[in-house]
Amino acid sequence: MRNYDLITPEGTKDFLFGECIVRRNIEDTLLGLFKSRGYSEMITPGLEFFDVFNLNSRYFPQENLYKLTDSKGRLLVMRPDSTMPIARVVATRLRDAMMPLKLCYNQTVYRTEPALKGRSDEIVQTGIELIGSQLKIADLEVISTAVDSLKSFGMQFSLEIGHIGIFKELVGKLEATDHTKEKIRKLIENKNFPALNDLLDSLGNSPVTNALKKLPALFGGEDVFEKAEELMPEENIGRLLDELRDIYRDACEICGNDGVITVDLGLVNKTDYYTGLIIKGYLQGHGEEIISGGRYDKLISEFGYDIPAVGFAVNVNGVAKVIEKNGVLPAMPRADVIVYAEEGCEVAAIRAAKELREQGLIVENALFDDLETVRDYAKENKIPKVVVIDGSGKEEQE
Amino acid sequence: MSKPIRIALTKGRLEKDTVGLLEKLGFDCTAVREKGRKLILPVPDANLEVVLAKANDVITYVEHGVCDIGVVGKDTIMEMHGKFYELVDLGFGRCKFALATKKGYDFYSGYGIKTIATKYPNVSRRFFEKKGMDTEIIKIEGSVELAPLLELADGIVDIVETGTTLKENGLEVIEDVAPISARLIANTVSLKMRQAEIEGLIKLIEENL
Repeated sequence: MRNYDLITPEGTKDFLFGECIVRRNIEDTLLGLFKSRGYSEMITPGLEFFDVFNLNSRYFPQENLYKLTDSKGRLLVMRPDSTMPIARVVATRLRDAMMPLKLCYNQTVYRTEPALKGRSDEIVQTGIELIGSQLKIADLEVISTAVDSLKSFGMQFSLEIGHIGIFKELVGKLEATDHTKEKIRKLIENKNFPALNDLLDSLGNSPVTNALKKLPALFGGEDVFEKAEELMPEENIGRLLDELRDIYRDACEICGNDGVITVDLGLVNKTDYYTGLIIKGYLQGHGEEIISGGRYDKLISEFGYDIPAVGFAVNVNGVAKVIEKNGVLPAMPRADVIVYAEEGCEVAAIRAAKELREQGLIVENALFDDLETVRDYAKENKIPKVVVIDGSGKEEQE
Repeated sequence: MSKPIRIALTKGRLEKDTVGLLEKLGFDCTAVREKGRKLILPVPDANLEVVLAKANDVITYVEHGVCDIGVVGKDTIMEMHGKFYELVDLGFGRCKFALATKKGYDFYSGYGIKTIATKYPNVSRRFFEKKGMDTEIIKIEGSVELAPLLELADGIVDIVETGTTLKENGLEVIEDVAPISARLIANTVSLKMRQAEIEGLIKLIEENL
């Protein structure tokens, strides 16, 4: 049998030194930002029952989950997402809590990605969930938090909004099987114009099929709303468009000149999960979205508690990748002092090091038995000061 | 001028057809025509940078966003899948996926599980899955036509252009699986971050197809 004791599983890796600093900086910045807005952190287990992710709407295909069994033979999964576990907690332990609830998290999620594609199966997500408010201010609160998150990375970004309701209204008017509707959704999601046109042509020519054909092309700036209104004169859709336009304008004002707010009415991913606003965040130089989120007013009700919610998650690994691509890894903080103990003076040396640390210095205890090696070590690691503790007291050397 | 848009082209026929199209749009593709062994070539007046790659790699580069757009056959898209926008049917590189067997062989008879040789296991699997048919699929790298002749397989799923190779080897198409042509694909973030430039190019292309 082959031994796999020297490598990590595909889709995972070890993070060393500078890589950790980059990652922790992002996590700390985001959590700080969320907490300064009154969000409280929660941690859910890395292992959950499969059932949590196997609700009626099956948001996560089972082939993408890491599965294992507990000691009673019940099926578990490695958490593929944080929103569903948080929905579970809200519907149970937080059922009687005062609403709205503002929750944040910073934890790893696991999904099986196709092999040899340069993707990670293990991703850190830092995000927020705002539970219990359907007001426009709640959507704006989440958007402005997303904008601040993107701004904090100090790179060119864009935040994109959409509204799943428009697609749902249109497709609801279509005489077609659920299977066909799902096909249409998929084609709109992939902006696959040729196939979408073919499929809709086969369903006849109506204002609805015409609007669906154009939906994936409706992205960009504010002119999208005018085009959409012309194309979809229905009252229900008009109301949704007005709502979204309102949010779009406010978001532009909140964002200022630091980034760009765009709109894409063809954002139709995970239709069952999202019920209204959809948010995506992009950074220049990264080929996939960095932020993903939206409004999911029906999800928590699947756990038996009917309450609206909106939130987003930041892909921390993605941000770290862009930062690392753009610059060098930060250096580890160097020790200021190394303390060397002559034989018999170990306790005094440990005490001296502690005193120096209390002055705010980074202090190492030398782990060698001769001063020469300590000096070499200090030189190699660029430690400016060697302190020698011998029987006579403290002797300092530069 | 801003950073050029990177376009990945599938080496070979699709590359030639795309370069032809770009020239029809009035862009100077001299550097691509006289490429030598270079793999990244400028088309300066279109602010494009052409990257030459194998079909599967076109998708990989576009998916990761290191190329903004790409030209690749529907055959590769159907086999590989992935996350990108499939924007335009370029109309060239037309052919089809088809199921072929030895001439006169009754493929759908009997209850035994059929063996299929193919370079496109995912396409084949989906095709028979839709029919509710269990099949055994064997991946072949070279001339798939050999497999039924050597009696390794009952049939093949492969790209058919004219059907001459099939005919000369005593095989025939018994069913079409899907039509194929070249597609223009785009990275999902690039299309958003560089919307004006990419949409401008697409508009030009669509007017000249």
